[in-house]
Amino acid sequence: METVLSIQDLSKHFGKIKAVNNLKLDVQKGQVFGMLGPNGSGKTTTLGMLMGVTNPTSGKFLWFGEEPTPQLRRKIGAVLEHPIFYPYLSGQKNLELNAMIKQCPVENIPRVLELVELTERKDDKYKTYSLGMKQRLAIASALLNDPTVLILDEPTNGLDPMGIAEIREIIRKIAANGKTIILASHLLDEVQKVCTHFAILKRGNMIYTGPVDDVGKGSETVEVNADVENFNEVLLTFSGTSSVNRENGVYQVTMRDGFHGKELNKFLFEKGIVVNHLVTKKKSLEKQFLEILSEAH
Amino acid sequence: MLQLLRIDLKKLTSYRTFWIICGLYFFTLGMATASGMEFLKWLASLIEGFGQSINIDRIPLYHFPDVWQNLAWSSGLLKIMLGIMVLISITNEYSYRTVRQNIIDGLSRAEFLYSKITTNLLLSLLSMVLVFFVSLVTGLIYSPSLNWHYMFNGIEFFPAYFLEVFAFLSFALMLGIFVQRSGLSIVLLLNSYLIELIIKKNIDDYVPQVIQFFPLESIMNLVPMPFARYAFQEIQDYVSLPAVGIALVWTFLFNYFSYLRLKKADL
Ligand SMILES: Nc1ncnc2c1ncn2[C@@H]1O[C@H](COP(=O)(O)OP(=O)(O)OP(=O)(O)O)[C@@H](O)[C@H]1O
Ligand SMILES: [Mg+2]
Repeated sequence: METVLSIQDLSKHFGKIKAVNNLKLDVQKGQVFGMLGPNGSGKTTTLGMLMGVTNPTSGKFLWFGEEPTPQLRRKIGAVLEHPIFYPYLSGQKNLELNAMIKQCPVENIPRVLELVELTERKDDKYKTYSLGMKQRLAIASALLNDPTVLILDEPTNGLDPMGIAEIREIIRKIAANGKTIILASHLLDEVQKVCTHFAILKRGNMIYTGPVDDVGKGSETVEVNADVENFNEVLLTFSGTSSVNRENGVYQVTMRDGFHGKELNKFLFEKGIVVNHLVTKKKSLEKQFLEILSEAH
Repeated sequence: MLQLLRIDLKKLTSYRTFWIICGLYFFTLGMATASGMEFLKWLASLIEGFGQSINIDRIPLYHFPDVWQNLAWSSGLLKIMLGIMVLISITNEYSYRTVRQNIIDGLSRAEFLYSKITTNLLLSLLSMVLVFFVSLVTGLIYSPSLNWHYMFNGIEFFPAYFLEVFAFLSFALMLGIFVQRSGLSIVLLLNSYLIELIIKKNIDDYVPQVIQFFPLESIMNLVPMPFARYAFQEIQDYVSLPAVGIALVWTFLFNYFSYLRLKKADL
């Protein structure tokens, strides 16, 4: 495996605030890496350091095993936080300017405009764009130089549901070409859908990192319901039950390790209870995220 | 370098305010320097109204070689307009946050600064060329006779004028990079002469010899005011090398401070 990005003890302090604290992280080629964390946990600050706009307080990071340079940045497409363009220039002219900075051919422009479906509006001034269009232009600009690494900070902010799905598709397509993507987002559903790996930051500290596939391993939750009185107590008598919760009119049974919905069903049937609803739920990233955050201090 | 200039011009040439200010500047520069005779005529008629008379033909405003210093000095007064343009250009980069995006996209901080400096060089060069041509043409029109021996005496005021404009624009650029807000930085630029004047007045009695080292003073000293000679006073009709040296050091420092500030900042 080839390490694309290696962060070594990176810190950024703003006065007393430790926005990023001794961050260590490796991102491998081809990963779609999700950066999660509550507001103010240091995601944007970290990405800002990686892109040379925020000076680290201490520590360092290597892109492709090399010290960062402006030349390297040209091969990394990045949108941090908000789209930033010259308001009085058209979308097309803004991209032409970016092409000059990134030293890539202007012939790339029609392709990326097509990809984000802005071709029709390309000659309108940027300031007349809607928020979603601005986001799309930012993504187009990030893709302009055919980057090997893509950094996206809340790329779907302000997009309509269709737009979100489209961006997800774009990310998948790019990832399918073996490109590396680092994605900071609050949409955990999206992260679970597109990311291969993720890390969780809290107040500048990394408190978890691992593959997305591991989410939902371990204990299982079974959603079950039946028209029986005191169903709650019946469920608690099952030896595989760890805890029972009533939520949205159905019972959420958290199973002990090694127990599954099938055994619960069998147990209830033997008690003469026929269920009218039974779903085995894979733990969502959202649930895991909240658990990890509440455990960490 | 040329690529960096092209990048900055790409930002500016679609910016209406740039065309308005620069258009106004170069138009005023050309018109004001070329219409000195009309101004003198107006002045003469005004004075006549008071029962006095002056013979404007005795004032060789446009005669070689006086014309070089006369026009280089007068043109220097207008550079404030270019300074404001530079401030708008750099403070926009902060208010739009495009300086951040430029770095993210792959400019180094130094390259970003060079792109602004090369534009300053270009604007200074264009000013110099324009004023040179106005001086040459008006000189040819108004000079009673052409004498090749001394016609080009004082032509060194043009490189000095170029340095004067460039040093001033470097100062404006630095102000913009430190202050980052357009309104405040323009107010500061307009008041900087006043501030320096107050300081100079206060130390004039004690250490007058340090005054020449003040930044704006050093820029003013590049092309000294020539018109007192028409009132039979002694003037400095040459470019003083120490003045050039001091102005060069300041120009370097302005841009170096800009660089340091840009390098340290979180954008
Ligand atoms: N320029 C700055 N000056 C002072 N403090 C800052 C600055 N930039 C960020 N911070 C602080 O650093 C911390 C991390 O901020 P950051 O923007 O990295 O969070 P984030 O994870 O991106 O949050 P969000 O999810 O809201 O985008 C916050 O406490 C923030 O207040
Ligand atoms: Mg953020």
